[in-house]
This record gives sequence, C-alpha cells and structure tokens, in this order.
Amino acid sequence: MSTETQAVSADGTAGAPVPEFTTDEMMTVAASRSLRDGTACFVGIGLPSTAANLARRTHAPELVLIYESGTLGTKPDRLPLSIGDGILADTADSVVSVPEIFNYWLQPGRVNTGFLGGAQVDKYGNINTTVIGGDYADPKVRLPGAGGAPEIAASCQEVLIVMRQSTRSFVESVDFVTSMGYGRGGDDRQRHGMTGRGPVKVITDLGMLEPDPDTRELTLTHLGPDIEVEQVREATGWPLQVAEELSVLQPPTDHELSVLRELKATIGGTS
Amino acid sequence: MTEARTRNKVMSVDDAVARLEDGMTIGIGGWGSRRKPMALVRAILRSDLKDLTIVSYGGPDVGLLCAAGKVTKLVYAFVSLDSIPLEPLFRAARENAAVEVEEWDEGMFQTGLRAAAQRLPFLPMRAGLGSDVMTHNPRLRTVTSPHDDGEELVAVPALDLDVALVHMNRADEHGNAQYFGPDPYFDDLFCLAASQRFVSTEQIVDTAELTADAPVQTLLLNRMMVDGVVETRNGAHFTTCVPDYGRDEKFQKTYATAAADPASWVEFEQRFLSGDERAYQDAVAAFHAEQSGGN
Repeated sequence: MSTETQAVSADGTAGAPVPEFTTDEMMTVAASRSLRDGTACFVGIGLPSTAANLARRTHAPELVLIYESGTLGTKPDRLPLSIGDGILADTADSVVSVPEIFNYWLQPGRVNTGFLGGAQVDKYGNINTTVIGGDYADPKVRLPGAGGAPEIAASCQEVLIVMRQSTRSFVESVDFVTSMGYGRGGDDRQRHGMTGRGPVKVITDLGMLEPDPDTRELTLTHLGPDIEVEQVREATGWPLQVAEELSVLQPPTDHELSVLRELKATIGGTS
Repeated sequence: MTEARTRNKVMSVDDAVARLEDGMTIGIGGWGSRRKPMALVRAILRSDLKDLTIVSYGGPDVGLLCAAGKVTKLVYAFVSLDSIPLEPLFRAARENAAVEVEEWDEGMFQTGLRAAAQRLPFLPMRAGLGSDVMTHNPRLRTVTSPHDDGEELVAVPALDLDVALVHMNRADEHGNAQYFGPDPYFDDLFCLAASQRFVSTEQIVDTAELTADAPVQTLLLNRMMVDGVVETRNGAHFTTCVPDYGRDEKFQKTYATAAADPASWVEFEQRFLSGDERAYQDAVAAFHAEQSGGN
C-alpha cells in the first residue's frame, strides 16, 4: 500500500534477524497499541480501520468497533472495503441508523476513542479538512469539508490523530479550523464547552507527539525506530518542542507484523 | 462511561436488585401491560428498597410498586393495563395522594428520554403547549427559537435515570439483547438514559444464535448498553412477551379484581407475592390448573 517503503530494521544494527517494516506499518501498529481493550472506538476506512482490526486481533479482543454506517461492535474477518461493506452489519452486535450513531453514540460521549487525520494539523492539534490558502470564498485548494470530524473532535472521550509528517501538513496555524483540538492552547477547549478530552496523541510516520499538560502545545515524546530528532524537526512547520525524556517506539513484533500483513492482504494490499 | 466491561454479565434477579439503592430514579421499560420486566419488579417488591422515583410508560409495574409503598415519586404519561383501561392499584395511590406525581404527555416523555440518551439538558417540541400538564409541572418550561420564526416551544427536560430495567425475548451473556415482538417500545432509550442497565430475558443464548434465524436489527440492545443480564422464564408475566407468550388475560383480570378490593388484595398478595420468583410461577401454574377445571 505504502509508497514510503523505506525499510528499517528494529534495532538498526546487524546481527540477529529482525523483522523489517515500513514507517507506515510502524504508524499503524502504534495507533493499534493506543486502543485499550474493552473500550469503544469510532472507526473510519483506511488506517483507522486497519489499526482497530489489528488491535482486536492482538491485545484488545474486546475492543468495540463502531463504524459511521451504524454497525456497533462489528467483528469483520477481513478489512471492510467501505463503511457500507456488508460484512460490517453481518458481524455486528447490533445495527442502528446513522442518525442514531450521531445522536445516541457520538454526541453523548459514549465513544472512547475517535481517529482523525487531515490535510493540515497545527501545534495545538487543530485540524483542517476544508480549505487551504487564499480566501475562504476563493481558496487555493478546496478540501472535502467537515464530514463528521468536528463532532468526533468535540465528543469522543479522546482523539488519536494519525498523519504522515511534513512541513506541508504540520503547520504553525491551520488556515481553517475544521475540527478543534486545543484551540489556542491552555484551557481554550474547556472554554468552548467541549466534553471530550481532545487529541491525546498525534501518531506519525516519524514518531509520536503529545500535548503539553499546561500549554497543550504538541510536543515530541516518542521517536520512531531509527528516526532522529532532527528529521522530525525538519518535517514540522513550527519550532518543535521535544520532551525531556524522549522515548523510542517499540518496533512491531513479529506477531503484530504478520497479523497486519494478513489483514492488508484481505483487501489486496501487500504491506 | 465505564471501561473494561466484564465479559460475562449474567446474574440473578436478586443480584440485580441488590445493586439498587433507596432514593434512586428507576426507569422501567415496556409499555402499559406489555413486555414489562415483572420478575425484576417482583424482586423489588421482596426487597427493603424504598423512596424510589419510578419513570415508566406505566402498567402493573407501577401499580404493584405503589401498593407496596416503594414509590415516593412517579413520572409517567399514563398508567394502564391495556385490556383493562385503569390500573386499580395506581388509581388508589393517585386518589389517596400516596405518591408525588409528575404527569407528562407521552410524546414529551419520549423526548425527555431522548434528551437524556443524548446527554442534552433538554430537547424542544410542541406537545404540551396549552395543556395543564404544563401548569402543574414547574420542570416543564418553554424556550423561544433563536431563529427568524421566534416560535415558543416546550423545552422538555432530560429524564436522566439511575437505573433502567427492561425485559427482552433473548439475550447473550454480554448484554446483547433482542426482541421478537411487533414493537421495541422505548427500551433502548431507557437503557441509554440510565447509568446502570439490567436486562431480564426469557432465555440466554450464544451470541451467534441471536442472529441465526433473525435479522441483526432485532438486537435492540448491545453490550455497551447493559450492565447485568438475568434469565427469567415467563419473567414478563402477566404482561405480553410475544411471540414467546401473550398477556395472561385471565390472571390480569383476577389481579385487577383483587386490587380493587383491599380484603381480596391481601389474599392475592398472600397467594402470589409472598414468596420468591419460583413460588410466584408455581402459584400461577396452580391458578391455571384450577381455572381449567382441575381441583
């Protein structure tokens, strides 16, 4: 699937054979590990769906998968091709209407974790999926729009942002706040009456960023295996804060990698 | 919401009732004399619980709990036995001013449950405007639309519940539960409006069996909406639980006749409600044997 197939070894040294994996695989595995067993996760097609199904097959068998199409607690034996894929309803605990998903599950805060991504994210975790550049009425780039993202951002108990990192996508300030993260930082989110905690992790192909407990500015807390701090700084459009105790993400285990690749193969992917 | 939900939620009726506390607000599913969680209600009758606020599309659940002195406050839109329009025990409690009442319109009642289920403070609607239902209930206020229409609407407050009790045809041990009858009533809303949710069911089956012969849409409740599952065969008796069984009209008539007369009611209580759930079901079986011409 990935075009960024720069393979790295787990410990970066020669010696015992270690599984090789792509930075995208690392990103998917890191997202998967962030899902706790027994919780409910709002899943979109693509990386979130892959990560959630990987989690259910590894450390979180009781993870409840909710797709926007109204399937609650679905347990597909392959990756669904779209949110309308029949396998989601066939393997669900129950199926409700789309309005019910929004009214009774998302907005009341019954979903523990929501996944978001976008064209741009800024240093306070605000996301733009609407317009880039120029004027709102006459933008340079017109993006798909809000979809359900603002409500996921507002109401899920916590949000995981998963995006490949570059200066184009990680900007000082987004051109349009489609989905609020921490607004202008500090307690701005509470002032807006948001019930969910907001983005607790930004998982990228280079590592992981987490909000500072006070300022809420996204701070580099984990590096991907064999990634250098300087690489992450160069891919960030603002002067990146780095945690005093910087960790390195545990590389995917053999088991995680093999389950992930089996899953990807169910929709014709190879990696 | 709680995390790390336990996988197996099966418990007894008395286990479920042991989780309830004095003074709680308890929503009871079903509608009138239809698919009421009667075994759970009977377990409350046997318990020491008191000072309950009961929220219900009322049937014999309401009458029995009022007569047993369990209820301080009642929130309802109606109380009826369907084929017998007036619930006699409720009528006695209401006419003796034995309980505080909050009487709503039925559409409002549903809207209040929806607001609670959506974790909103209120939802607007038209029902109730001009009715004395509004006059006698200070909780029912109006709100003016901020849009150009400027319309005045009822701001129906959320009916937040501590506990929901419902009865379903089948369930699995995780709390996925389904109905086979013609109407879901409002059981899903009761569960979504409540902090703790207990489901009684005719039969606990494997998860796969739930949808072996039935569409997935029959699963009104899923495991995220349920904290305890109780298997109680004939547990909705004497209300309907179609297609497993219809209303026991003969028994309901006997109940209503007895309830209308204090001396007969003592006798009825003695015969049917002095023991546990098994004793109740045995007494009902004996009642039918007697009725069908045995001795």
